[in-house]
Amino acid sequence: MADDGSNGETGVPVAIRTVTWIVLGVALMGILGLFAIRCELGPEAARAYPSRTLAAEPEPVLLPPPPIDEDYFPCMDCHAGEVPNRTRRELEDDHDDLELAHGDLWCHDCHTAGDYDRLHRADDTAVGFDESWRLCTQCHGKKLADWRAGVHGKRTGYWWGAKEYRSCVECHDPHSPAWKPIEAKRPPKRPAEIRLGSDVRLEEVPHEAE
Amino acid sequence: MKRNDAEDRLDARGASRRKFLRGAAAGTAALAGAPGAAQAFDFETFFQKHFREMSDEEIDDLNARLARKYEKKYGKPFSLDATGPLDGVVFGYGLDISRCIGCRRCVYACVEENNQSRDPEIHWIRVLEFEREQAFRSINLEEGNPYYDHETVPAEGKLYLPISCQHCEDSPCTNVCPTGATWKEPDGIVVIDYDWCIGCRYCIAACPYGARHFNWGQPSIPKDEVNTDLHLLGNRPRPKGVVEKCSFCIQRVRKGRYPACVEACPVGARKFGNLLDPNSEIRYLLKNKRTFVLKAELGTRPKFFYFYG
Repeated sequence: MADDGSNGETGVPVAIRTVTWIVLGVALMGILGLFAIRCELGPEAARAYPSRTLAAEPEPVLLPPPPIDEDYFPCMDCHAGEVPNRTRRELEDDHDDLELAHGDLWCHDCHTAGDYDRLHRADDTAVGFDESWRLCTQCHGKKLADWRAGVHGKRTGYWWGAKEYRSCVECHDPHSPAWKPIEAKRPPKRPAEIRLGSDVRLEEVPHEAE
Repeated sequence: MKRNDAEDRLDARGASRRKFLRGAAAGTAALAGAPGAAQAFDFETFFQKHFREMSDEEIDDLNARLARKYEKKYGKPFSLDATGPLDGVVFGYGLDISRCIGCRRCVYACVEENNQSRDPEIHWIRVLEFEREQAFRSINLEEGNPYYDHETVPAEGKLYLPISCQHCEDSPCTNVCPTGATWKEPDGIVVIDYDWCIGCRYCIAACPYGARHFNWGQPSIPKDEVNTDLHLLGNRPRPKGVVEKCSFCIQRVRKGRYPACVEACPVGARKFGNLLDPNSEIRYLLKNKRTFVLKAELGTRPKFFYFYG
């Protein structure tokens, strides 16, 4: 009886202990399983394309610019030795065809007076003609951010490789930067004008003859 | 006599029943294993599997077979492959409607890149013209005019909105296809298996964007203009009687290049990139610009985003 009693006393805890161990075991396997899945996902989740980062591109590399017009450059061939005239006036001679429509800017805001082969920023730091975007972006800061990100300006090349940048002046005339109207390509044909092979018009396509 | 008249008339209209019966007879003969009759019946084409059920070898065989066919027809070598999607890439497109000037250079760049039929004419991109004031209040696609014809663009007081396949995440076109000939790839591109398209045009009816086009006639591409750089699910020359549409230039973008329309745009209104890459151009504009999708209320979740830069 005593044995039975002791068996009975330990019997109940054994059952509970067994259940507890099973629950713990399953939980442990679950955790290990999750860990295994995570480990398996790790390398798979790694991207298979070369990622590019904004931070890694502090200095945009520009596409080779179109050649500078040799009729006008170097400027000092004509402007050497002259006293700069800073008054706003109707432009004459070689510059009479120049349309100035860029805010209130006047020549000497960008071209250095007396040293016309040089461009300068508002703080008088020199900017080369091949890096004129540094000049433009001192006012157009939001455009600079978009341009660096590849969202302002024409995109060519590869969406995954290094970006191909064009300088502002490749698309915008710096003297009159607004986009000029261009010729449109021809409109699509209307359905009624589309012919199918020989002389059959779309609305005349024969239905199943029966 | 009467019967012959009727048959002649059918012949004249280009829908000959006799021709059809001849083809069917040849097919039966080929099935029965009759030698010599096989020319009218291409065993491999008839029993070709669905693209997604083919093994890599079968796809290679198909590509080689098609490349031979095109070479024979156009008289120059073709490069045809079925480059698969990249891991960690879902493509997204951005279009800046504040910049688009409606010049249609994208339309014709697309036609040339993707071997669209010149006659009868098929354009995957339509540029819609809207009254600017009206469009700023709300854009109703039915009011857009694709047939505008001005000397120069942009015309005064107009707004332009190019539209092509929106590559919807929940695409109505793929849901209705009875043969599974069109589906969404893991990188988000909605593609078509032209060999499994039966030309029922359910997808055309289902697409809310008018992005799908049907080859009503035999497509024609000038030999000197045909693009020889092909993808099996993209720009390979299509037969008559199948549906086609924009594939984000699958033959280019899966090799890292921009779509042809992006490179053709003179004002840089078109943007493209990987939606899963936080540093991509498309993610930048989604974060920083006012973007919208067309017919958002339909729940198609396009991956083609318009924005106002």
